[in-house]
Amino acid sequence: MSDAVATALWLSVRVSILATLAAALVGIPLAYLLAKRRFWGHQALDVFVMLPLVLPPTVTGYYLIVLLGRRGWLGGPLYELTGFSLPFTWYAAVVASAVMALPLLVRPARAAIESVNPDLERAAYVLGRSEWRTALEVTLPLARRGIVAGAVLAFARALGEFGATLMLAGNIPGRTTTVPLAIYTAVSTGETAEAQFLVLLLTTLSCAVVVIAGRLGSRL
Amino acid sequence: MIEVALRKTFPGFTLDVAWQAGDEVVTLFGPSGAGKSLTLQCLAGLARPDAGRVVVNGRVFDDVAAGVHLPPQARHLGYVFQGYALFPHLTVAENVAFGLRDRPAAERRRRTVDVLAQLELGNLGARYPGELSGGQQQRVAVGRAIAPDPAVLLLDEPLSALDAPLRRQLRAELRALIVGLRRTVVLVTHDLGEAYQLGDRLVLYEAGRVVQAGPKAEVLGRPASPAVARLIGLRNVVRGVVVKAATDRVEIDWRGHTVEAVNSLAAPFQAPAGAPVAFVVRPEHVRLIRKDRVGPDPAHHMNLLEGAIVDAIDHGTTWTLLFRIAAPGPPSQGAYDLEIEVPHLVYEILDISRDREWRVSMHRGALQVLASADPA
Repeated sequence: MSDAVATALWLSVRVSILATLAAALVGIPLAYLLAKRRFWGHQALDVFVMLPLVLPPTVTGYYLIVLLGRRGWLGGPLYELTGFSLPFTWYAAVVASAVMALPLLVRPARAAIESVNPDLERAAYVLGRSEWRTALEVTLPLARRGIVAGAVLAFARALGEFGATLMLAGNIPGRTTTVPLAIYTAVSTGETAEAQFLVLLLTTLSCAVVVIAGRLGSRL
Repeated sequence: MIEVALRKTFPGFTLDVAWQAGDEVVTLFGPSGAGKSLTLQCLAGLARPDAGRVVVNGRVFDDVAAGVHLPPQARHLGYVFQGYALFPHLTVAENVAFGLRDRPAAERRRRTVDVLAQLELGNLGARYPGELSGGQQQRVAVGRAIAPDPAVLLLDEPLSALDAPLRRQLRAELRALIVGLRRTVVLVTHDLGEAYQLGDRLVLYEAGRVVQAGPKAEVLGRPASPAVARLIGLRNVVRGVVVKAATDRVEIDWRGHTVEAVNSLAAPFQAPAGAPVAFVVRPEHVRLIRKDRVGPDPAHHMNLLEGAIVDAIDHGTTWTLLFRIAAPGPPSQGAYDLEIEVPHLVYEILDISRDREWRVSMHRGALQVLASADPA
């Protein structure tokens, strides 16, 4: 394995894990909110979260640049204050992957939360638990299968993320070139052997994720 | 002590009830969809009434006019859910200890052990609810509800998830347990036997309203209206017109014949001649008399009526005969006037299958006049 390949692989794994964690951190509360509460803008939020699933990844990537770029709505003030600019760093790959993975986590998590028998939550309320404690002690533990299933899908999505990552993080060898981007580079520069190796690597890795997820799911 | 007055409106259904109870077992009885479970949810703070008050031992739980609505967490009630709602990811002991979180660890352990022992679940503490039988799950649900020593215990159809034989067996156990609490216990059921055996006081629900409430013997012995009579399973709820209501007996014109009923001493029925009246005839108290028998003694054969058996239904050990009085006009109950119940043996001895023309007689004590003739 060449240094470039090893670097790309390590970056991909790092980005995917962090993106999955970020998606879980935002996605689980979001799934709970969408499942349990009816508020003004509920449907709009639902559509907004699901957008990356239906938009072309380059479009999502473009919106992320508009939002987080050096002159973006959020990225601009951030740059003014700290001098930090997100695009073309490996953090940008994490952000792009997390946004793309979010709907895949929220969907099954929300369905699992909705399928918890509401009498169990009522029982917890009557026995003195606040809604927050009930979510932590009853709802989320009982929805864990759906949440883990969503996290596995999110991880797999992050591992294969290409379009939005390319838009926001670029394709800088050694810095933002994840395995999918490395495959694209190898193919476009005619390095067939390296492309084949990376394709097999990503296939194996993805299969392993599915198998591990299955084992994990049956033990929960 | 609990005082309840609730109104809650949904499209197509309105709950509008008021009742109270002391430290006793009160059963809310009525058909499915009458609003019994909704009442429990309002008591527990899980549903919010549109109007009304709930006061438990002097504490105001709800007072819509004053803007008071305590959340379920602040009410400290015990609630046994229909289907039990045990936490499947927690052990039996963890389920029972769930409501004891704010107690010191030592006390929590002691109370859990005590409750498990009281409910004969002592050796099942480490099991999960999914590994228990229906009867054991029911006891865990009761244990979880009573562990924090609530002021009021609410039970929603506590036995309906069990098989019929087990259900009857557990009734006596449950009765002993909830009476032993010496607290207000509110129990919801649509099974009259359960309501009667488990409760001290009955509140009869129909279509979101209370049709009668009181000590169980009073409600079952003196149903106030045809609706209540039908709700508690009485047959032969029929209507006539008052001829004369005296202190000791009531004369009623029924299908062109005058029949006599004993008037209640405790709550005498009073109505002017010509007023509508509803009464109940117990089907097992109707006597059949052969038509060819000469000169029936009027002293022994009160309320003598002629007619014919129009249908007979075999119930295995008894027959139900549908009897139509020989009189013009439509019968009281569709195609017939009276249901008569006779044991199989009597049916065979009297040869009822061949002979369809009969006279019937009813002792005036077998006719019970209802306080209200209002059909609703």
